Amino acid sequence: MKKNLYFLISFLIFVTFSSGQTSSQSKDGSVRIVQLLRQENSIRRYPDALPSLLKMMNEQTNAHFDTDPLYINSFTDVRLLENPILYINCDEQPNLEFPKEEQDALRHYMEQGGFVYLDAGIKASFLGADLGHSYAAWEERPEVKELFNQVFPEKTFIPLARDHDLFRTFFRGLPKNEDLKIQANQKRLPEAVLTFVEREKWPQATYSFVGMKVKGRLACVASPICAMGWGRDEFGAWIPPISFRIRESAENFDQNLKLASFSGGTYEVTREDGLKDIIYSENGQRPLWVKEPNGSWRIFKYYSGEEISNYAHAFYSRLGMNVFLYALLH
Amino acid sequence: MNFRFFILVFLFPFIGMLAQVPSFNIPPVDQNSSLQEMKDGNSSSIEKLVPKRSSISETIERAGEDLTHSEIGRRVGAAKLLGKYRSSNTSVLLVGALDDESPLVRRAAMVSLAEHASNGTVVYDRSLVEKIYSKLGDSDVEVRREVSAMIPRIISVMMRSGMEVVEINGRRVYRSVPSKMRSDLFEMTQRAFLDDDAIVRQNILKYHTYLGVPLPSSSLEKLLSDSDHGVLLTALSRISSSASQTGIVRRVKELSMHSDKGIRLKVVSVARDANRYHSGYRGILRDMTGDSDPEVLSMAAVELARFGERVPKEIVEKIKLFLLGVDGMSTQVTTILYAVSALGVDGISVYRSLTEHSSSKIRTIAWQRFISLSDGWKDSSLWMPAMQDRDKAVRNAVLNVLRGRTNDLTEAELNKLVNNKFSDVRIFAAQSLLNAKQDAVDSVGFDLLIDEDTIVRSTTIRAMSVRRVPGWIKILSRSLLDDDYVIQRAAMDGLLEDKEQGVPALKKYVTQNPQSRISNLARNELNKLGIKL
Repeated sequence: MKKNLYFLISFLIFVTFSSGQTSSQSKDGSVRIVQLLRQENSIRRYPDALPSLLKMMNEQTNAHFDTDPLYINSFTDVRLLENPILYINCDEQPNLEFPKEEQDALRHYMEQGGFVYLDAGIKASFLGADLGHSYAAWEERPEVKELFNQVFPEKTFIPLARDHDLFRTFFRGLPKNEDLKIQANQKRLPEAVLTFVEREKWPQATYSFVGMKVKGRLACVASPICAMGWGRDEFGAWIPPISFRIRESAENFDQNLKLASFSGGTYEVTREDGLKDIIYSENGQRPLWVKEPNGSWRIFKYYSGEEISNYAHAFYSRLGMNVFLYALLH
Repeated sequence: MNFRFFILVFLFPFIGMLAQVPSFNIPPVDQNSSLQEMKDGNSSSIEKLVPKRSSISETIERAGEDLTHSEIGRRVGAAKLLGKYRSSNTSVLLVGALDDESPLVRRAAMVSLAEHASNGTVVYDRSLVEKIYSKLGDSDVEVRREVSAMIPRIISVMMRSGMEVVEINGRRVYRSVPSKMRSDLFEMTQRAFLDDDAIVRQNILKYHTYLGVPLPSSSLEKLLSDSDHGVLLTALSRISSSASQTGIVRRVKELSMHSDKGIRLKVVSVARDANRYHSGYRGILRDMTGDSDPEVLSMAAVELARFGERVPKEIVEKIKLFLLGVDGMSTQVTTILYAVSALGVDGISVYRSLTEHSSSKIRTIAWQRFISLSDGWKDSSLWMPAMQDRDKAVRNAVLNVLRGRTNDLTEAELNKLVNNKFSDVRIFAAQSLLNAKQDAVDSVGFDLLIDEDTIVRSTTIRAMSVRRVPGWIKILSRSLLDDDYVIQRAAMDGLLEDKEQGVPALKKYVTQNPQSRISNLARNELNKLGIKL
């Protein structure tokens, strides 16, 4: 199966790019990803993320990407239409308000077959200005919603089903010890973490994505921030460290957490089934616990460490590669 | 022994067993009756029935009691909950739970302590911190992992130096006592270098210097043979203290042939830094110039070049081919690309080849280095191809290198610039009029004056006014009639510089065109020169 995919990817890239050569495309026919950067001198949290991911794709698949993204600061940049994939890290933009001509250009790009990946296009409200957190909410952030209401007033974002092809374009399933380059008998993650990850956090290596179809084609996807998991240093070690937020239950939590001391605020976050979780959070602290729609209460626990970070990086990278390869193939 | 610690560890569980107080004894709420009362609008009754949240002290107290409950699940829940309340009280309770017979409870307690630490709560009692650290020897691997990851957060308390008072010749003298790890903990740490779990080994390798625990050479040698890549990478970065030992040099040499490219790249980096400790490392780098991977080979070669070694031509050729084949910039490529300068004359030809690379970033650096190293600004045939580069950033970088260095451009050279399709290059052509040959200015000046780009035109006007080319007063006076304010402004500035002919021409224009956009500003400027209109 993977062999076929290798061939398919190589073939499609050849067909797509052997026909013409434009100024912003690489000379050697590799695919160049366009990245929106509205302020060139802004502080970027993960500047090496996308180049790292593109390099990984070149190493691990037969796809051929230019590892230097093409930066544009406006959707009206003519070079946008010369490249099939636009990557936007929503957290790196000063805002998501665009003038009419840029909105029109974006619509035109998507109608002409362009694919838009809105990283951090999902962001649960309780995360606030904290850019280093990812949380599986199941609706686009308000700024994205507002922008696309203007770009495509007739369309809305729809959650991607767990069995969507995007999640298995090339990589399938969660990272194994082999993927993590660790001994076969080594414990990958703490038991509580692994159980939650496999059953709830990232079942079958899926994540909370919402998408928008244009002319019957998935033309835009939004996800919680994934770029934080794409960086590697020069020796192949993952950077920066990532920790996990895990929901845990325990005996009597349904009673205990309901009554335990709490003086902070609560936030509603949309779940996959459309219902709402109520997140309990205190100022200056990471969220404490959650009341789920079925009435059960679970506590958030935070796990960090080399193995956690490596696992998260492997997951986010495989997911990111799947998204770009999906964009290329569809 | 600290008395509080004694109570906590030995007496608390005992008291707890006697007490067995179930937590949260909340009166059951009759859902039906409460709903009925809501319908009736009897809000005061609802307030009485809805259970109220407990205070922090009540919550902690009850969780503390639960920590001694006979059911493991109850103890686990209490340990998890206490992680949400940061105080010395909760830390004491959680440290007490680290000796629980159930690994689940110990794990939960350790995760909660880590949560406190990551939220900035420090346990100041040294004996408590030592208790936490002692769990590095726990039988449960998850507990050991958590402790090893917590080292940076607990180290300040555990290794805090002290103060003692001694009497010397009848005088009380205060003197500091250096921090010292307890001997049993020291031994435990040394054993942890070779822990069964790779994550623990890696963490100890990372943090042992904070703990003041030396890494024995024998352990380092074993770790340099570790089967885990993370451990290997960390161990390689820890060789400096034993780098001169033959056994370590031998192990590094073996790793220079490791199957993983990342490890081999790390070896290059380590061999470079350890070169001062043992000559064997230079030999390792030389051998690595024959690596099967062009990236590893190139890294090794440029490091040797930086040491002043001559790199054979065939290796330079391989570096060139590697750089030509990369997909774009990365940390390693950046390192190699800049280090090519160390190859001397050979490096210039590498940079020249890279000026045609598909990556704009690589082209930018290649052009800059090529022009700088070869004094390329003296020969337009060398830099002129850069003016056709498709990427503006590349052209800008080259133009910045050239500005102020290109003198006496000929008519043919200027013509090439003037006919360039990119306006930034034509602007450069206009700027070059300032120091180009006169016949060249005469030849291309008009073309630049009618350029479609405003900046090109205004730059030309400014250059012509500075050079005082024949007929410049006429050109600038006509430019004042241009619709574009930028052109008018350039013309005005030029005329103001010449009091004999320019200022009268400007005065005439303002008199004849009092409503023009530029006239108001021109009037003010003339006023400053004492000319009233």
